[in-house]
Amino acid sequence: MTETTIPRGNTLPRIRPWLGIAAAASFVVASVMALFWAPTDTTQGDVYRIMYVHVPTAWLAYLAFVVVFLASVAWLWTKRPIFDAIAVSSAEIGVLFTGLCLIAGSIWAKPTWGVWWTWEPRLVTTAIMFVMYVGYLLLRGLSTDFSRRATRAAVFGVIAVIDVPIVHLSVLWANSLHQLPTVLRIAGAPSLDSSMLLTLMVSVGAFTLVYAYFMSARVSIELARQGRLWTT
Amino acid sequence: MDNLGFIVAAFAIVWGALLAYLISLRARGA
Repeated sequence: MTETTIPRGNTLPRIRPWLGIAAAASFVVASVMALFWAPTDTTQGDVYRIMYVHVPTAWLAYLAFVVVFLASVAWLWTKRPIFDAIAVSSAEIGVLFTGLCLIAGSIWAKPTWGVWWTWEPRLVTTAIMFVMYVGYLLLRGLSTDFSRRATRAAVFGVIAVIDVPIVHLSVLWANSLHQLPTVLRIAGAPSLDSSMLLTLMVSVGAFTLVYAYFMSARVSIELARQGRLWTT
Repeated sequence: MDNLGFIVAAFAIVWGALLAYLISLRARGA
């Protein structure tokens, strides 16, 4: 392989410490707001506070897999290795957040629904999404040829994103135990108390900064790995 | 605070997993 388009002297390592500080600070603020500042829910009591980690992890699962899709399209279009690095990084982090979303949701479900797990549409489609992106990561291990591996993974990444809207809209399409969307609603404004909404938005922002920090670090690792791959 | 055990478990697992992933990134050279 003679062609290399790996960017030299990129700005990621320079902004990463600041991104880390912003992520850590906002994470502390979000956690204090979620655990102590937000009011107790009149119906669910305090256990609803788990939503302040469950909803942001769900949002980041969506975001991460949409980034995989966009980076996959960009790889297929341009064949620039940076896009493959972005795709695999976002897939790995997306799997982490999807797993955490399922675990936090399960812990919330036990005292609320009385079960850790139930076979209802939102849970099943989310579990399928988790397995699909674990599969995406495993697929990458099947070939040592960089270009072939990236192309196979990109095709998978383009197809697999179909599950993201299915997960989000499954509560509308099927009779579901899971509650309907309260923030990203097709019809109208968010349907929750303003201080709860503010806490949720701060939590979503903090988790998104954590995702951005993880991405900057993980993409750097992948670019270094590609560099070693291409020089040996 | 009711259901404190569930709340603590959920937050601790999420925080712990994010910290573990951060450590794994550092270990891989980030």
